[in-house]
Amino acid sequence: MFESFLNAFPLLFGGGSFLNILFVISLGLLIGLFVGALPGLTTLMAMAIVLPISFFMDPLIGIPFLIGVYKGGIFGGSIPAILVSLPGTGASVATTFDGPPLTKMGKGRKALETALFSSVIADFSSDIVTILLIGPIALIALLIGPPELAAILFLSILIISSTSSGSVGKNMIMLATGLFIAMIGQDPIAALSRFTFDVFELRAGVPLLPMLIGLFAIPEILINIETKTKDFIKTKLNLNKEKNLTWNEFLKLRKTIFRSTIIGTTIGMIPGVGQVVAAFVGYAAAKNSSKNPEKFGKGELEGIAAPEAANNAVNGPTLVPLLTLGIPGDNVTAILLGAFVAHGLRPGPELMSEQGSIVFAILMCMLLANILFLILGYFTMPIFSKVVTIKKSYLIPLTIIFAFAGSFVFRHNPADLYFLLFFGIFGYVLKKLEFDVTPLVMAFILAPSLEYAFGQTLSLGDDNVIMFLLSERPIAALIIVSTPVITWKLWKRSKKLRDVATTITSKQVK
Amino acid sequence: MKKLLTTLIAIFAMLSIFNTVKADYPEKPITMVIPFGPGGSHDLNARVFTSIIPQYLGNAIIVKLVPGASGQTGTAMVAQAKPDGYTLLFTHNYVDQLQHHVKKLPYKPLKDFVTVARINYAAACMIVLSKSKYNSVQDVFDAAKSSGGKLKLGHSGMWGATMVPMAQLLSWGKVSANLTPYKGGGPMVKGLLSGDVEAVLHFPSVIKGQGNKVKTLGCGAKEKSLGTPPTFDELGFKGQIGYMDRILMAPAKTPPERIKVLQDALAKLKGDKTFKKFMGRLGENMEFMNGPDYEKIRAEKSNNYKSLVKQMTKG
Repeated sequence: MFESFLNAFPLLFGGGSFLNILFVISLGLLIGLFVGALPGLTTLMAMAIVLPISFFMDPLIGIPFLIGVYKGGIFGGSIPAILVSLPGTGASVATTFDGPPLTKMGKGRKALETALFSSVIADFSSDIVTILLIGPIALIALLIGPPELAAILFLSILIISSTSSGSVGKNMIMLATGLFIAMIGQDPIAALSRFTFDVFELRAGVPLLPMLIGLFAIPEILINIETKTKDFIKTKLNLNKEKNLTWNEFLKLRKTIFRSTIIGTTIGMIPGVGQVVAAFVGYAAAKNSSKNPEKFGKGELEGIAAPEAANNAVNGPTLVPLLTLGIPGDNVTAILLGAFVAHGLRPGPELMSEQGSIVFAILMCMLLANILFLILGYFTMPIFSKVVTIKKSYLIPLTIIFAFAGSFVFRHNPADLYFLLFFGIFGYVLKKLEFDVTPLVMAFILAPSLEYAFGQTLSLGDDNVIMFLLSERPIAALIIVSTPVITWKLWKRSKKLRDVATTITSKQVK
Repeated sequence: MKKLLTTLIAIFAMLSIFNTVKADYPEKPITMVIPFGPGGSHDLNARVFTSIIPQYLGNAIIVKLVPGASGQTGTAMVAQAKPDGYTLLFTHNYVDQLQHHVKKLPYKPLKDFVTVARINYAAACMIVLSKSKYNSVQDVFDAAKSSGGKLKLGHSGMWGATMVPMAQLLSWGKVSANLTPYKGGGPMVKGLLSGDVEAVLHFPSVIKGQGNKVKTLGCGAKEKSLGTPPTFDELGFKGQIGYMDRILMAPAKTPPERIKVLQDALAKLKGDKTFKKFMGRLGENMEFMNGPDYEKIRAEKSNNYKSLVKQMTKG
């Protein structure tokens, strides 16, 4: 394996192809950045569209190109999340907690820079870990089957719900609501319709993007309209005049970035869990270990760094099952698989042993992409800043347009606008009643996978699931047994933090 | 000079009007809906042939992925589209010919759609781990029988492309087994590799990538690339089994002459070198079948699925 690692270098640097690689990665990054930044257009769609272009390029040009689009897109999605509370994917939901408050405080530029730096650092470190540990990570991927995945997902939902900001009772209501909404549509195992009331639009389930935009952007807009204070209408938002992130501020974030990188990389090694969980767990962990947890959600730079570092650290390890076993872990890796296959390189054990140098060359392209992205991201930020260099009074109508256009562009399905409106009003009511929607969103995103893994476990366990877990699935059994303990400890801890936070807020209100 | 110029412009303008009046189908890009998600084999096959077809069709085919409800969302979209030949559906036989036997659909696949062509097919093969003690399909059947129906087998989704042939095989062997669903082909292979399930069906292009980790016990068709394992037909199963036909459909009321234009262009793909090269890389065949020929087997397949569904759901 070491030999193929060394052989990767001439592949990258030999024959004058290096400049071409740099060029296509940059091109991909820019495409991804712009697509990701436009609400409603997903990185996935962008990748699917540029996929045929990569067919006609050399594999070591075409695949890095797609990797560029992918990496650019993830960060691009954070831009509207930070500036106008419009999450483009589940992975950027946690970024909307502290992004928009920072923007309102005139620290939008700092927030964007924090997101960029933490993303790049975390991604880079996780890629290095991936290159070093590609063998062990592949083994872990095989150890995690349906029972383990079900146990991990269940634990994740509980961790995130118990560390959310609402009261425990409210969080549990939100959790149950999220699970219920996720059940609308076809059940994942037998493909029977549930709770669809014969409405065809409900058959495919509730669409994620209109729901996210509805829950996060619309209440934000409505509350801004309600509290239209004079300064809000008059002041101009101008990111170019705002201060950059200082070195000291950055140093304060290093612990958070480090913690989130470890969380994200670990979660990335478990197939089927992914960026969304990483972002939320990273956020919860940062809040839990912070000295000022009450500042989270009100404009804390750590609240940006934590989810952004965590969700990007997932990227490296998620590629491992694809490269070593030929199994794509998610839609993005499925498209990358397509790019490989169209070049006659079918990822899997055979490719790894026969053309391992190509695999390592591609992993190194990911490192290159990170470095390039740091530079490109930094210099394109003023362009995005221009977009929001407008009177704040225009920002509200603009956000409304983006919210509706984004929901429609997503699938070109008019029904999605109803979903947007419904969840917008629902989210506003919840906000007024002081519910935190995090458990709802989490449960909604994870429920299908959880239910699937649970159903598979029942099927694999035949008649006696408990015996099956104890005798054949010690890892899953261990996670299940430790779940109540971990949840209780976290809940107790976060309750303490919440009590502190409530006293502080109630003082501020009064 | 000025006069000449105006005359030229006039002639040009007239020509262009003339052109639009007499314009032949397709005069604008065609939208092709795929009712499945990105990165799957339909997506890949489509990306390949749509990137080559413009030179034969004179216009582009744009791929639009509309996944949801096991293909129903995208299919319904095309069923409701104007039947003018500018909206097509790229689907497979299980969505087209089986789904209406198991659920109520807002369209009638066999009546609302007509086959333009079958682009190609993929024939499923039964695989087990190389170290497995099973060396033939019969071995798997025997194990299923002696385990009392508890032998663990995997499939990639209810009523999908690997579940249906597995059910057909089991019913032909008169055995039952524990069928565990996986969320698609990738996780299913992982289930096999980690030993959660003992045998699965999958397509040759994927099996090849697994190298010597798995062995193939039988295939729906002759697969030279896998060392020509016995076909299910040779093993005694009569009738086509395990074929996933990648079919291009049009709304039934689409003018036949437009469908003809599409068919003529698609038929030319077979001689195209780039197409051949890419399909070779994907590990897919080029067993093109024209619409009318496919229509002949379409109804029959649907009937076979109907009796299978009846048999599966009664117990």
